[in-house]
Amino acid sequence: MKKAYLQISFSWLFAIIVGAFILFLAIYASTKMISNNKYQLDVETAKNIEVLLNPLETGYESATVTSMSLPRETRIYNKCENYTQFGSQTISVSQKSLNRWSETSDGSSISNKYIFSTNPVEGKKFYLFAKPFEFPFKTGDVIYLTSASDFYCFKDADEEIENEISRLKENNPGLNIGVFPNCSKESINVCFGTGSCEINVDYFDKEVRKNSKKMYFESDALMYAAIFSEVENYECQVQRLMQRTAQLAELYKEKENIISNQGCEKRLSSDLTNLISLTEKLDSSADLKGIWDLAENIQLKNERAQQCRLW
Amino acid sequence: MKKAQLKIQQMAFMLIAVTLFFALISVFVLGFRLSGAKGSANLLAEEGAMMLATKIANSPEFSCGKSFGNQVDCVDADKVMALKKDISKYSDFWDVSSIEIRTIYPEGDEICTSENYPNCNRILIGEQEIAGTYVPNFVSLCRKESIEDQPYNKCELALIMVAYESK
Repeated sequence: MKKAYLQISFSWLFAIIVGAFILFLAIYASTKMISNNKYQLDVETAKNIEVLLNPLETGYESATVTSMSLPRETRIYNKCENYTQFGSQTISVSQKSLNRWSETSDGSSISNKYIFSTNPVEGKKFYLFAKPFEFPFKTGDVIYLTSASDFYCFKDADEEIENEISRLKENNPGLNIGVFPNCSKESINVCFGTGSCEINVDYFDKEVRKNSKKMYFESDALMYAAIFSEVENYECQVQRLMQRTAQLAELYKEKENIISNQGCEKRLSSDLTNLISLTEKLDSSADLKGIWDLAENIQLKNERAQQCRLW
Repeated sequence: MKKAQLKIQQMAFMLIAVTLFFALISVFVLGFRLSGAKGSANLLAEEGAMMLATKIANSPEFSCGKSFGNQVDCVDADKVMALKKDISKYSDFWDVSSIEIRTIYPEGDEICTSENYPNCNRILIGEQEIAGTYVPNFVSLCRKESIEDQPYNKCELALIMVAYESK
């Protein structure tokens, strides 16, 4: 009986092996290129967010809002560190494509902004809302980053806060913050006082309770910050704000030295030294209360200085 | 050389040529894309610097606040001189290579130091002179002066220039 052989010449075999190798290389290179493109897009998006934040920095306006729409479902990661002189925060992005989240991009590190948010914030449309933070001088603008898919419903809020929200909504009707009863069922409820809500604000004791954790605040800017961010992010950003406050207090001390040659009295030097030492020692937001009293006292003295005001 | 051997050799050369062709195309495409990425990085840096020049006058380290009345785009020269002393702490803070504030009138080229201030025209933040690509913005530059020990506010028109590094 004759045996059947598959007759393939050496040239065919060689062509198939090398051809397969070339095809493999081509497919590998194109997948690598596609993933690099996605990564580049994520990095660009993160950088664009940083650029978009610039006009939000207010002069002396009370609050400003802007929105940001992205072409795809996006997760924005907000990482904060406070080990360096002013600390920094890193914004990185991951976008959904073909039902899969891309690898999180290399972050864009920023030292001069304070963004409060959950980690990550997810959605296609985001709202950025900023308020100046004064302690007692303006330290910076705090920026709140929220997803349009999360609607915050404020219940029993102070009249001033309700008015502020109404003012913001006049210019941005789609803004994801509302005042009860103009809220949907799916809203995240923010109760001022007692009540069974996701977030509770005790305006008298200056504390916000969220996920059974407490955050302390002084000034409305930090109250909103505690409402819209996670505890870890909040505590880290408060530390960064205090680091900048200490540095600015140093500047004002030096400015007081300079203008003392122009007939201005040195009234705030020792208080500013105390402020520097207290802000540098701040461990958590619970320590804010003690510093706030001193800050208010400094502000009063500065206002009395009239022609020689430092800020 | 046998005919079959010749064919194998022919095929091998052909395959090497095809591989080289694709490799060359990949190199061109990659180079083009990388130059695009570099361009967009520069564009983003430029956009950032443009925004920065307009907002820097209102940043707490530069702005007048309410110490010279309610002025916008007002830079506090006394505070900037204080900042100049402490600038090492701010090395990476604004992500720009240098900042210069120059009075437009009175015109002059004298760089401000703690010795000659306020009789000078240019405040350099950092040691280097402004170089590279920069974005200017007009501001009022205010400081405290006095007549017979009575302080008063003095404001002059100035140009703030923020330079950023092209990558």
